[in-house]
Amino acid sequence: MLPVNRKGETAKEDFLVEMHMESKISDAKTHRPVVLFFLTMVFNTVIAVFLTFFGFREDFVVNLIFSQCIGLSICVLVTIAHWFFGNLSPLMRMFLFTAALILGSVAGTLLGMTITGVDTSLFFEKNVSFVHVVSLGIVFGSIISYFFFSRHRISMTERRAEEERIRRITSEKKAVETELRLLQAQIEPHFLFNTLSNILSLLDTDLKKGQTMLIDLIHYLRTSLKKTREDITTIGKEMEMIRAYLNIFRVRMEDRLNYRIDMPDSIKELPFPPMLVQPLVENAIKHGLEPKIEGGEVWIHGVEDGEVLRLEIADTGVGMYKRGASGLGLSNIRERLKSLYGDKGRLILEENRPSGLKAIIEVPHARD
Amino acid sequence: MQEIKAIIADDEKQLRSHLKSMLSKVWPDLIICGEARNGREALELIEKHRPDIAFLDIRMPGLSGMEVAGKVAGSCWVVFVTAYDQYAIEAFENEAIDYLLKPVTRERLEKTARRLKEQIDSYTKPPVDFSEIVNKLIVNLQDMETPGYLQWLKVQKRDGIRLIPVDEVYYFKASDKYTMVITKEGESLIRKPIKDLADELDPDKFWRVHRGTIVNAGCISEVSRSLTGRSVIRLKDLPETLTVSRSYVHLFKQM
Repeated sequence: MLPVNRKGETAKEDFLVEMHMESKISDAKTHRPVVLFFLTMVFNTVIAVFLTFFGFREDFVVNLIFSQCIGLSICVLVTIAHWFFGNLSPLMRMFLFTAALILGSVAGTLLGMTITGVDTSLFFEKNVSFVHVVSLGIVFGSIISYFFFSRHRISMTERRAEEERIRRITSEKKAVETELRLLQAQIEPHFLFNTLSNILSLLDTDLKKGQTMLIDLIHYLRTSLKKTREDITTIGKEMEMIRAYLNIFRVRMEDRLNYRIDMPDSIKELPFPPMLVQPLVENAIKHGLEPKIEGGEVWIHGVEDGEVLRLEIADTGVGMYKRGASGLGLSNIRERLKSLYGDKGRLILEENRPSGLKAIIEVPHARD
Repeated sequence: MQEIKAIIADDEKQLRSHLKSMLSKVWPDLIICGEARNGREALELIEKHRPDIAFLDIRMPGLSGMEVAGKVAGSCWVVFVTAYDQYAIEAFENEAIDYLLKPVTRERLEKTARRLKEQIDSYTKPPVDFSEIVNKLIVNLQDMETPGYLQWLKVQKRDGIRLIPVDEVYYFKASDKYTMVITKEGESLIRKPIKDLADELDPDKFWRVHRGTIVNAGCISEVSRSLTGRSVIRLKDLPETLTVSRSYVHLFKQM
């Protein structure tokens, strides 16, 4: 078995990878407003030079003041509008953006008038030249905003691709680890050597019993080893394997172990992922019944409950407090259920009454 | 020469009778004065019959073979019988304790028998100090088997008591004398103050980020700065954010 803290380490490693990425991204975030304003001011200056060159209002200083005021106002308002974009529809975004643009142009013009000492009330009279200023603001504002938006979109796309890449690597790593853990779980050496010792001794005393036990062991090993490479089996086949596994323990533990498997015929042919139930049965014996002097019972039964198929593995063993490290196998099962069924696959653990533990696997009912 | 007596302890009957029949071939003079099905019975048998030798399975219900050996140290020679305990076997090398691997082979058992006869002839009593060795082994084994940190939470639900593995918890939130446990399935309350809980959780996995918040590090998706300069934790799959209080900000600093 892997050391117990392996899982924790992996989680921490993954986390570090993510944190590393996060720090890169948040660097970009903190720099972005500064870069944005700087670029805007550069554009504003270019516009002022352009306008002066084509003889608009003649005075470069006045043009510069107006273009800076309008440009920066638009920049601020569009940035604020962008914060609220969140889950808005494209139409609402467009509306918000246009509003920010117009408002920014008007506010910038008024600000420019104040700075250059022009009476702001003139703006509200039918003064054609200021309407020109506003429309110029809107035109240039649109062009520059488009530039910033596409720049933002490119960086977001790159970021998402990077996140996707890291997520893929992490999940591939997890899949390999799961496979490895599954393999290790099946060939638990304690189980194997104890069973072989039993068979060896039965060869002297009870040949028939020894043969049956050997056949059960072969059946269990063959199906469980084959199953890691298969994605799906049926509930019926899985239960046959569990029966072989429990029969082995029945010989070893004698009357300290009783078991029942109750599966309605209607669910036996249903597809089911392999090696999900086995670790729970193994836990029930290893951590529940083996440590208990008088032993007890394992009861496995399947229930059809509307859209849900439920498999319950209940034992009358020592309960959960004495079970230390069994969490490793359980998180493994949970991960597999999650990757197979999303939120619809669940593993629930309950206290069994009057004693022991009950593990419940819930998956969507795969009716034809 | 006086009679030499032994007991056999194993929870599996088949293996007890196998060892017994092997011993009768390898060491016909040895008297098996009792068989025990678990650690407690083994202890009773040893106290009652005062055997010279005890063959003890390590994994037994009640008391483990190791625990039994620790208790009877000095009163009899102990041979451990085990299916697979690599770490334990390494520890037995060069010690005064013998061990047998299952399935027990005739050759190996003969070697053990020779060794036991020599020891019984040359010493009057088994060494007392091996209780120390055994106790050291028990501690080692416990270290390997139990991680020591809290693994399970018991939560009262309408239809019974639900067990939640701590790995599944996204975060804990203090709520007076109780603690709110937040998992993907929802919230539940446990009857334990967050201060006590913090001591029982694995500090590598669960980070205390606030006086009233402990977060599962594996569930953090990102940490960012809010407008007021505070660190804010965003979680995977859950919409809510958690605030990192200033005294715990160092957790995220060096990264």
